[in-house]
Amino acid sequence: MKRLPTMAFILIGLLGALLIYVAEDIPEFGDPNSPPIKYVKLFSIYAEKVEDFLKEDVIPKSLIDQFMKRGFPRPSRVEKVDGKEGEWNAFIPKEEMHYSKEEKYYLIKKEGNKFEVFRYAFVVRWIEKGEEETGVPNMVTYGLADYRGYDTLGETVVIFTAGISVILLLRRRGKL
Amino acid sequence: MIPFIQLFSLYVIIHGTSGPGGGFQGGVVFGASFILYIVAFDIFRGRERLPESVNMVLSSLGLYIYAGIGLLCIIISFGVAQYLNYGFLPFTTHFQENRASGIDLVEIGIGITVIAIMASIFFDLVGGEENKKVRE
Repeated sequence: MKRLPTMAFILIGLLGALLIYVAEDIPEFGDPNSPPIKYVKLFSIYAEKVEDFLKEDVIPKSLIDQFMKRGFPRPSRVEKVDGKEGEWNAFIPKEEMHYSKEEKYYLIKKEGNKFEVFRYAFVVRWIEKGEEETGVPNMVTYGLADYRGYDTLGETVVIFTAGISVILLLRRRGKL
Repeated sequence: MIPFIQLFSLYVIIHGTSGPGGGFQGGVVFGASFILYIVAFDIFRGRERLPESVNMVLSSLGLYIYAGIGLLCIIISFGVAQYLNYGFLPFTTHFQENRASGIDLVEIGIGITVIAIMASIFFDLVGGEENKKVRE
């Protein structure tokens, strides 16, 4: 009888330690540069002549090889980020199935003598292109009813089902 | 008080595209106005205001509006657009404005369903014994 509380205490202590260990990695709340909001790191490379090519808006062959080796879509052109030194946006060409226009996809950043390649999170595109695509200024509403229309249809069905269930159980006492 | 609450909720639903708000929030506020009416007066007078048949018709009408607009997109574009792609609706000439008006209509559909279901659940929870008397 006495062993059970001891085991439970140890288990709770372990779970708490795990929670603290995991919470170290959670980005600070509201940080606009945290990975889920801004971008995800893909890889970093050491190459000497990359910067000279990037300064002339040309993607070097070594960088394209890295993209193809890892199975990412091939970038078509690069452009300097306005007002930032050593950062470039890479675009991928249009593709009939997924992208009807050219899309901003990668961010290439220079740190020291190595180059880090990031992929933009979906949220960035959501914020930048949403009003232009839907003509609605409210970010929450165009997400709710346009980009995630199927989801909201399902939510409405859930509410409808809840109401019908209450009618069946309480008003009719389970008799169909 | 009730007309003001209902006016406010309609404002929330209609301005869901340009300000904070939307179908779910506005519908809940409108349903709360019915609940307030029943609390203040009586469940029988509440039933006179919102009969059972009207309630059932409204609760499914909202879903029909939502799903119907999705289907309308396919029908009008002759199968080019996907389900719920509002850009092909024939309301205005611009693709983006069509999407905005489609979002508006969908919000109204959500609002109608939420209003009717809120009122219906409250009627059922309140009227255990009273509902039987109404039927007899």
